Amino acid sequence: MSTSVTMRPCGDFRTSYKQDTTIFETKTIRWFAILAIAFACFAPFILDAYYLTLFIQVSYLGIAALGLNILVGFTGQISLGHGAFFGFGAFASAWLNTQFNIPVVFCIPLAGFLTMAVGMMFGMPAARIKGLYLAIATLAAQFIIEDFFGRAEWFSGGSAGSLAEPINIFGFTFDTDESFYYVALFALVFMFIWGCNLMRTRDGRAFVAVRDHYLSAEIMGVKLNKYRLLSFGISSFYAGIGGALYAHYLGYVSAEGFTIFMSIQFLAMVIIGGLGSIKGTLMGVVFMVLLPEAMEASVSLVKETSIGAHPMLVDGLAYIKEMAIGLVIILFLIFEPEGLAHRWNQIKNYWKSYPFAY
Amino acid sequence: MKLSKLTLATLSAVTMMAANSAAAKEDKVFVGHLADMSGPTAFVGKEYADGVRDAMAYINANGGIKGTGLDFETVDYAYKVPQAIASYKKWKSRKKMVAMQGWGTADTEALISFVARDKIPVYSASYSGHLTDPKGKNPHTKKPAPYNFFYGASYSDSCRALVQWAAKDWKDKGSKGKPKFTHIGANHPFPNAPKAACAEYATELGFDVQPSVVISMKPGDFKAQCLSLKSSGTHYGYIGNLGGSVMSLIKSCNTVGTDIQFMSNIWGGDRKIFEAIGEGVKDYIFPTMTPFWDSNVSGMKLVKNISKMSDSSGTKSRPHHYIRGVCSAYYMKEAMEWAKDNGGITGANVKKGMYATQNWVPKGLEGVCLPATWKDDDHRGIAEVNIYKGNFDKDNVSIEQVDTVSLERRADWLGY
Repeated sequence: MSTSVTMRPCGDFRTSYKQDTTIFETKTIRWFAILAIAFACFAPFILDAYYLTLFIQVSYLGIAALGLNILVGFTGQISLGHGAFFGFGAFASAWLNTQFNIPVVFCIPLAGFLTMAVGMMFGMPAARIKGLYLAIATLAAQFIIEDFFGRAEWFSGGSAGSLAEPINIFGFTFDTDESFYYVALFALVFMFIWGCNLMRTRDGRAFVAVRDHYLSAEIMGVKLNKYRLLSFGISSFYAGIGGALYAHYLGYVSAEGFTIFMSIQFLAMVIIGGLGSIKGTLMGVVFMVLLPEAMEASVSLVKETSIGAHPMLVDGLAYIKEMAIGLVIILFLIFEPEGLAHRWNQIKNYWKSYPFAY
Repeated sequence: MKLSKLTLATLSAVTMMAANSAAAKEDKVFVGHLADMSGPTAFVGKEYADGVRDAMAYINANGGIKGTGLDFETVDYAYKVPQAIASYKKWKSRKKMVAMQGWGTADTEALISFVARDKIPVYSASYSGHLTDPKGKNPHTKKPAPYNFFYGASYSDSCRALVQWAAKDWKDKGSKGKPKFTHIGANHPFPNAPKAACAEYATELGFDVQPSVVISMKPGDFKAQCLSLKSSGTHYGYIGNLGGSVMSLIKSCNTVGTDIQFMSNIWGGDRKIFEAIGEGVKDYIFPTMTPFWDSNVSGMKLVKNISKMSDSSGTKSRPHHYIRGVCSAYYMKEAMEWAKDNGGITGANVKKGMYATQNWVPKGLEGVCLPATWKDDDHRGIAEVNIYKGNFDKDNVSIEQVDTVSLERRADWLGY
């Protein structure tokens, strides 16, 4: 079994529910995860600001995307307003900090709860409608909140945007990429473990029941309205936390950027990663963050060559880059409809029986 | 599975190679250049970016910054903030960037805090008034932007100049009563930037300011909005949008039959858009910070030589956004030259270089760039606005200058 260190070995049967719902399938996987996080703690000493900023992006987008996956992948609802909730969290945290002088560390979770309240308000139609109708109802949330950012000077600063102080704990300011990296790492690990645990609770199972067969769930005593609404709340809470981290990383929030495209990008992340999979969410986010960078890097490689330096070609490559991102997403949906998480399991299964496949 | 393995391998290989190819070069300083060539603002973004890029290439081909070459990279970030941040971080940590040429509201505002901390001057084409208050003197200023510069009057100042012109126009026409003024634009930071400031000044000049009319940034049918403009009896309408949206607005309002004097922001008026609209462009007022391509000023010769960097035939006619890009790059060039003589080209020195000269026109661009003055507590470089009028008759676009408005540098207008 030397090649299958992270695989579940033969004869490993579960005899209790507790065993069946562990976060990590085997001890080895658990050790790998802990080692990986420990290793990640040393990243700022090895990697430069570019890689760190990509990781920070993965962190705040990942937290928000996990929220969307809880809503879409686990509860079977849909939201096209996730980008706006993300933005609401960003503004709310900055607003709480500047208006009420609450320390930023507390503003971030508070912003999460504020966003949760807003999300539940806009999630209320979910009690009565579903599918495409719900999609349109949440689309309205996107536009209403986006318009609110533009008008509510007291909250978002209107066109001038609003200022977000960096995180400060006991006099230490997290205002560089190196220091903020730790905030991002902590938030990511914390929120993902929380997400994993949530799915192991009664509420988490209720979400899945609502998704899989809402009639049966209702007959079993799961309150549909309660859990649909709760799912919207949790999803927006995650979006709010992600947004707040984004705000305090940039130090400045502008109403530009929290558009419908952002909402769709979040959906793309969870679909590419794998609906209903927590590790898939992270894979999808990493993929979506690295894809434009990898494209950019390949374009700049061509630029370095003598023929590539011509401005006409450079402009052409810019368009190819944008198109390639779209193309990759389409290819993914055709060849990998169940997401990266599914592919990862298949890769694991392949190596499990290597070199003697059944 | 083969496919995804291969893709992953290629992607990671490409990333690694890009990481290794960033070796520093001898006697060169790095300037990052963010451009939008394929995103929502590409209509004018591409023209402006061409101006900046050609100017930097021309500077390199002609001796650089007193012998120091400009190592620059243009990234089309498609108006996406995450890509702008990632590019900025890459340049900052790997290429020792000393200055950056940015583009719009989205990237400029996202980077305000970073550039202030990293001491990297940014020359952008985001003319938001709140970028002009580097020390936060005005209580309106939320966030001082000490390292942000732009060549031109702010959106607010341009709008004030247009309002000033409108007040004169109203008097010259001998009209009676209070003229009505309406802000027309999407509910977004860019069109909204001058809204409050301009309405305030319009009221001061005796206008009756109407509630603003919201039209989308994307082209569409704006007849409903034109009808409400008509029913409110607006005389002067300020357009805060650009590109296709302006086109739709003019067409819709012509169908409805409004009689409004349109005045647009700097991005909303150029030859390309008038040609696209065609019949219906009548006395369209817009501001510029530079003369036009065919005007007869001495500095235009240099601009035409610069244009040959990407158009070797020299036949292309460039819009005024291109020329503004050239000016932006040349102010940076001269600030860098000052920095080289005064302690070396670093971000902080380039910033000081911006304050070294008053009423300053880059050498060779006389008559093209307006004399500019930046001060360490006032980043309103330009306080003069040229106002032009565009018309379209019988397949011909005609553009003529109608006025030059000089704005006073009022303290309560700083950063607002």
